[in-house]
This record gives sequence, structure tokens and C-alpha cells, in this order.
Amino acid sequence: MAKEPIKFRSSKHNMDYILLTVVLFLVGFGLLMIYSVSSYEASVEFGDSAYYLKNQAQSTMIGFVGLFVMIKFPYKALQKMDVMALLVSAVLIILVKSPLGITRNGASRWINLGFITFQPAEVAKIGVIIYLASIIQRLESLGKNVIRTPKGLAIILVPPTIIAGLIYLITNNLSSAIIVMGIAVAMLFVAVPDYKWFVAIGAAGVAAVAALVIAVSNADATGSNFRLARIQAWLDPESYSTDRAFQTLQALYAIGSGGIWGKGLGQSMQKRGFLPEAQNDMIFSIICEELGLFGAFTIILLFVVLIWSCMVIANKTMDRFGSLLVVGVMAHYAIQVILNIAVVTNTIPNTGITLPFISYGGTSTLFLLMEIGIVLNVSKYCR
Amino acid sequence: MAAKNSTGRRNMTVQKRKTFVLCVMSVAALLLLGVRVGYLMIMCSEHYTELATQLHERERDIKAARGRIIDSTGTVLADNKTVCTISVIHSQVKEPEQVIEVLSRELGLSEEYVRKRVEKYSARERIKSNVDKETGDRIRSLDMAGVKVDEDYKRYYPYGELASKVLGFTGGDNQGIIGLEVSYEEYLTGKKGQILTLTDAKGIELDGMGERRQEPEAGKDLYISLDINIQKYATQLAKQAYETKQAAGVSIIVMNVNNGEILAMTDVPEFNLNEPFTLIEEFQVQEIEKETEEQTTQQDEENQTEEKQETRESTQDLLNKMWRNGCINDTYEPGSTFKIITAAAGLESGVVSLNDNFSCPGFIVVDDRRIRCHKISGHGAEDFTHAVMNSCNPVFITVGLRIGAERYYEYFTKFGLKQKTGIDLPGEAGTIMHQPDKIGEVELATISFGQSFQITPLRLMTTVSGLINGGRLVTPHFGVKAMSADSTMVEEFTYPVSEGIVSAETTEKLKYVLEQVVENGGGKNGYVEGFRIGGKTATSQTLPRGTGRYIASFLGFAPADNPKVMALAIIDTPQGTYYGGQIAAPIVRQLFENILPYLEEMDYN
Repeated sequence: MAKEPIKFRSSKHNMDYILLTVVLFLVGFGLLMIYSVSSYEASVEFGDSAYYLKNQAQSTMIGFVGLFVMIKFPYKALQKMDVMALLVSAVLIILVKSPLGITRNGASRWINLGFITFQPAEVAKIGVIIYLASIIQRLESLGKNVIRTPKGLAIILVPPTIIAGLIYLITNNLSSAIIVMGIAVAMLFVAVPDYKWFVAIGAAGVAAVAALVIAVSNADATGSNFRLARIQAWLDPESYSTDRAFQTLQALYAIGSGGIWGKGLGQSMQKRGFLPEAQNDMIFSIICEELGLFGAFTIILLFVVLIWSCMVIANKTMDRFGSLLVVGVMAHYAIQVILNIAVVTNTIPNTGITLPFISYGGTSTLFLLMEIGIVLNVSKYCR
Repeated sequence: MAAKNSTGRRNMTVQKRKTFVLCVMSVAALLLLGVRVGYLMIMCSEHYTELATQLHERERDIKAARGRIIDSTGTVLADNKTVCTISVIHSQVKEPEQVIEVLSRELGLSEEYVRKRVEKYSARERIKSNVDKETGDRIRSLDMAGVKVDEDYKRYYPYGELASKVLGFTGGDNQGIIGLEVSYEEYLTGKKGQILTLTDAKGIELDGMGERRQEPEAGKDLYISLDINIQKYATQLAKQAYETKQAAGVSIIVMNVNNGEILAMTDVPEFNLNEPFTLIEEFQVQEIEKETEEQTTQQDEENQTEEKQETRESTQDLLNKMWRNGCINDTYEPGSTFKIITAAAGLESGVVSLNDNFSCPGFIVVDDRRIRCHKISGHGAEDFTHAVMNSCNPVFITVGLRIGAERYYEYFTKFGLKQKTGIDLPGEAGTIMHQPDKIGEVELATISFGQSFQITPLRLMTTVSGLINGGRLVTPHFGVKAMSADSTMVEEFTYPVSEGIVSAETTEKLKYVLEQVVENGGGKNGYVEGFRIGGKTATSQTLPRGTGRYIASFLGFAPADNPKVMALAIIDTPQGTYYGGQIAAPIVRQLFENILPYLEEMDYN
């Protein structure tokens, strides 16, 4: 009975409820897992097993506000904010070095604006997406393949590179820099008709990585270089079990000991101090341990649905700017999920990348939800 | 404008296709990662689960009960006593003051001692072990947080000294140190169990996560041929002789002639198995003597360092001496009892028959040596039977010489005298014998009456058993079978037997003459009314000769016509009368008087 009017309305004004449902499920599941994973450590350290849960719930509430604002906010207005988005991102990153900057666990990645504390790198991701969507749309509207001229490429790639460079140099956050660059490359890939350059660059990248791996595996194990050591630990975690590969190996223990059906929700052993701060980057390994292969596949499939839904929205949108915004967000999610699971399963060397919607972290939750808000907003204008 | 729009539309189509490609690549990457996760969780699951379990579990051993040692009457000779180990886990103690107060009161320990351990930051601190079960149970019933009471087993010997050198005892971690406890270690020792508890990274046990127990497996009970009644009686007689004769030691062995089962073995002085590291009186005296001796020789500077070394080792030396089982760990010159072997070799080889006539002038000249008979005036004319009854040295020397060195050595070997008996006790001493090419006339003469070589008392008994049971050389032993606690058979032990070491005729002749020895000869003190006893006495001078120290012994068996049980009594260095026929034979007689009716009643054999 209710089906009829919805169908009628969906053709013009309705947004993608499947996507919203998937996201709400992921957020709810994330909260559940954060409680499960962190309660032991939280009760030992803070005497409050819900310490992390409460913080994350608070961030999620703010995130939902952001989500609804972005659903209502006419996304086309963002198109005029392109340069501003970039500048705000850059300024916020630089502010980390100012007295507003906050250092936690030895990393200077936060700023405190009095009413809110957040990571500028997360702002930069959304900033870069807005900038690129806007600038590509504008270059395309000029026609004549301006986008494929060196000047056009420079306009597209140089600002995100600067932002990524700032993130890496100022906050020493390689993973966010990689994500920013990844988003830029993905959006460029979508914007231009070429394949061969990307294939060539991809092949060169693979070759470079292979050469690096061979060089590192033959290099001295003494490696004072932090990243070199990480790569060595990646290649042979069991030889570096006590120091460099400690976290990776503990994550592997968690994943491996989960088996097909897992130990049951709340039954993880690895979260009991063996895998420190498992609620952050390594939360997927505890999901594997508690919910087994079944749970892990469910999560992976939900992300597949999420990414697929983004693609469908992007391709249904008549407006190029909206479409590019959605592509940027899709690329952001895809890169982060792939890299996170790849790190947790020791498929690539360890870099701190969180699992979207599930890992603990206030800023990333807020901006991820805002991005979903933008996508849902765009979805209202489909077809 | 139219061109621009067409380019825009074309590029929009490209963008859609490429968005799709990007999405498919991402999904493909995710699915590949899904495969990777599947690989880790299925193919590597076992490997990582094992590593993780090792990481998560802390294990505590549960000791396994050691198997009991049970004699032929079903009496338990070695048992286990449950004792408790009390320990505290610092991080779990909630009321340290109460814990300190209760533990120091219940365990009789000083408050500072307990306080130091309770307040020490360690994963697990042992307060006291070997606490008796009642105290342990009482502490457990108080249910104080952080106090752990673990049950443990301690070896317990209900009869204290009885058969101490046979049974042996166990050390701190319940492994055998001497005696049967060592020989049957693999049966007696159980398999340790484990309590595996899950802990967090700091090693704190997790409540409610349960624990995994691997139950310990109790050791197997060892059933031995020893008979507690015979053993008790033999020990009593040995002690009596030990005291009245002020001997250095008295050994009695009682053995089943036909299968080698040992019914009793005592070597007085024995020690208390429940306190094996406490020197018994005799050795305490020695320890003091040794110390004073050392003090007096202290001026002797050359030896001073050596002496100091000795002082340090002396207690352990004395303990080793105290634990020695003279029946098997030491050799001696058997003396006249060995004439049984010479007689057997003579009869078997045919160089002598029971009716052969000899003449004993009180001595015999071999080479250029004059060897005396114990009866200086000589036994005069006598046949071989009487020579055995008289234990006449010249006759046995004559027989020995008739056999010849080479042939005698062959018989010595054939009768098993060169090899160890193979008894199931550790540390059996080997025979000390001349090299075959070094046996001249004089050596052969002395061997013929049991001197100039050494064997263990058990070796002598085993060989004589073989000679009188029809030529079956048995393996003396205690172990009969091993059974698990629920009485399922684990193993019935079998022992090697060599058949045909002598002919049946020689056996018959030997039984006859040896019965004559007891009936009418030098062994008449071994006679038991109503029983037919065979036997042979011996009185041998110990080395070095001329110190006036003797070993008196008597070997007896019954019934003489169909031997079933044999007893050997050896008195080492008796004071006063030292003749085997006078002091050792009565011991065997008293023993037989008691055990023969008992064995008949038990329907022995």
C-alpha cells in the first residue's frame, strides 16, 4: 500500500534508501563492535567499559547532524566553494603547527577549535573531492578536451598534490596523503577517456614496488629507517613478532583464530590486551575473530553494496558535478576499505588506515557521514 | 554550442563507463581481499589458532599420582599421600591483612615470612608446599580471594624401614632415586595433567572464561613377589643377629627356586623410606668419627685439601652407603657355599662321584703352596658325600684340580656366574673373576672352595637355584605385573630362563648331598623339624686376610627333594662366634620354621 506512492516519488525526488540503510547498519554495527572490542581495555584503563563507546556515540550523533545537513543542503552550492574548500583544508592542516594543534600518542594530527577537536586531514579529503568535482566539471564545460592539456592536468593534479604533501609533511600522516592522492587519481581517471596512461603508471608503480620489495628483503635487517623496517616486518611478520610486526602478527592471530563461525560476539581473546587499541585500525581483525569468516564476508559485502550504490548514483545523475562528487566519495570509501583490510590481513605493509564507519574516530565518522549526506543529496536528483 | 554539448555528452558517457570500471576494480579488489581473509581463516586457521592459544593460555601442572607398589599379599608398600601447595596470586588478593593472618596461623609460619610473599608483586608466589590435606582443605574452605590451594601427591611408605633398599624412594619431583622406584619408573610414573586458564595480556586469569583441564593419568600399580610377612620376619631375624652379633650388616634373601621370584630381601641396617635423607644412627656415628678423624689429621698439611673435599662429600657418601643394598650392590668371597658349584661341576663332568673315596690329612700341597683344611687335624678317610658334609677343603681342591682350569672356567661361565643375574633392581654388581689364562693351579685350588674371586650374594643364590631345580637358570626378580588403578592388566613381566645348565642326575645328587649336610653334616643347625632341608654353610675370611674379620653365611632350601624356596643369610663381620654353621644356619632355620608352614598354607606353588 505504501509501495505505490514511494515508487511514484522515487522517479524524481527520492533518495537512495538502500545506501542509507547500509550506512546506518554499518554505523550501528561499528558502535557495537567498538563496545565489544574496547570495553576490556577501557575498563582496565578508565574504569568505564563504555568509555570509547560513549565517545564514539557522541561523534556519531554529531555525524548524523552533518549527514542531515548535507542531505538538505543543495549540493550545487558546493560547486562555488571549490577553491575555498582547498584553502580551508590547507589552512587547517597548517594550523596543526600552531598553538591550536594537539598531539596525541606522539602524533600531531589534531586541532582544537574550542568547540570541536578534529583531524584536518579528514577535512582535506572532502575538500579535495569538492575541488576536483568542481574544477573537472568546469574544464569539461570548456570543451575541446582542455582537461587533457598539460595545463588542464596541472590544474587538476597540482592542488591535491600540495594538500597531500602538506598532510604528509605537517601531520606525518602518510596514509591520509595516500588517500588524498588516490581520490585525485581516481577522479581524473573517471574524467578522461584514456586508459593507457593509467595502465602505464599502474604498471610502473607495480614494478617500483616489486623492485623496492626485492631491495628491502635483501637489505640489512638493521634498518634504522622506520618505513624500511615496516616493509621487512610485512614480508616476514613471524621473525619480527616482538617489535615491528607485533601488531600485524597479533591481528593475524585474531583473524586466524576466528575460523568460519568465529568465537562469538564479545568472546575475542586478542582484544584483552594482546592487540592494543584494536578499536582503531585493527577492528576488522577482531570482527573476524568474534564473528568468523561469516561476519567478515558480511562486512565486505556491505562495503561492496555501498560502493556499488555510489556507482549507480553517480551514473544515474545527469549533473556532471554531482556525479563527480559521488565518484570522489566512492573512491574515498573504496581506497580506505581496501587499504584497511589489506593492512589487517598483512597483504600490504602496515599503515594506519581506519575502516570507514566501523573504526573508532570522531573526525572520520563525522566527515564520512557528511560525504554520505552529499551522495544521498545527489541521489535525489537522479535521472 | 552544439559541438560543445556533443563533446560534453560524449565525455559524460565516457565518465559513466569509467565510473563503472573504477567501481568494478574496487569491488574486484575487495573480493580478492575476501579470498585472502578466507585463506587466513580457513587454511591458516589451525596455525594461528595454535599460536594464539599458546599466547592466551597459562598452564599449571597437575601432578599425576604415582603407581603404588603392592606385595604378593595385596599389601600396599608404597603409596601416595595427598598434600597441598599453598600459593598466592598478588593481583587477585583483596584483603592482604586477612590472608597474611590466616596463612601464618594455619601454616605455622612467621608473619614477616608470609607478608613478604603476599606483598611481593609476582604472578604466583608459593607460600608452602607439602601441607597436609586437612590444613589445605581448611584454607580452601575460607575461600579467600587470591589464595590458591593446589593438591599434590607425596610418596608415602606405610611400613617405613621395611624393604627400604628394595623399594627405594622418590625425589622432590616424584621420580625414583633408588630401588624398584627407579627400575619401574616408566610404569609407576604417571602423566602430568594441566590446567589451562585463559589470561589477558598481563597474565591475569579471566573470570568466567572457563578453564581447560587435561586430566593427569595416574601411574600403574606395580605388583611384586615380595611377601610382607616373610619380609617382616626376615628383617626381624636379621636385626636380631645384627644386634646380638654386633655385625657390620646382615643380609637375608628368600627366593623361589623355580621361577626366581624374590619373597624377601633385607640388608640390615635399613633406613626409613619416609626420611631417606636422614642418616640413621650407625651412620651418624660414622659421620662424627670421620669429622674427629679429620680434625686429628689436620696437621698433615699434604692431605689437608683432600680432607676438606672429603668433608664436603662425606654426608652424601654416607647416604649412598646407607642406601646400598649389600645383596646385589656388593660382592664378596662366597667361601664354602661355593663348594656346591665345585661339586656340581665335578659331578657333571664325571671326575668325581658321590662314593669316591678321599683322604684328608688337614692340608694339601698345590704347586709349592700348602693349603690348610679348616680342620687342622684333617678329616681322614671320607667319601665325597662326607667331604661335602665336612666341607673338606683338600677334597674340593682335588676335585677342582681334576676338572682342570679350562673346564672349570667353562662351568663357571655355563652356570651364569660371570654375568649379572639381571634382577630388576638398579646397580647390580658384576662378578670379579680371574682372566681364564691367569688361572694357575693355586688359583684353581682357591676357586674350588670359594675364594680369590667375588660375586654378589644374589648371584650365588641364583646359580645354586639353577643347579638344584633341574638346571633352569632363572632370573631373580620382584616385578610380577603392572596394573592400572582400575585393575586392568598393563603388563605381566616375563624373565629369561636358560635351561639345562646341569643334568637332572647331577641335580638329584646335589640335592641328596646338600640334604645330608643339614641332616648330619656342618649345616645341622639349619634343620627344621618336619621338613626336608638342604643347605651349605660358609665361613669366609674377608680381605685383607688375618684381620680376624669373617663373613658367616648359610644357604638353605626346602623341601630338599623338591626345592621350592631358598634362603641365604649372610652376617658380615660378626663379633664372637663367626662360624656360618653356628650363627647363620640358625637364622635360616628360624626363618624356615615360620615361613615353611606359612608357605604351605598359602599353597605356595
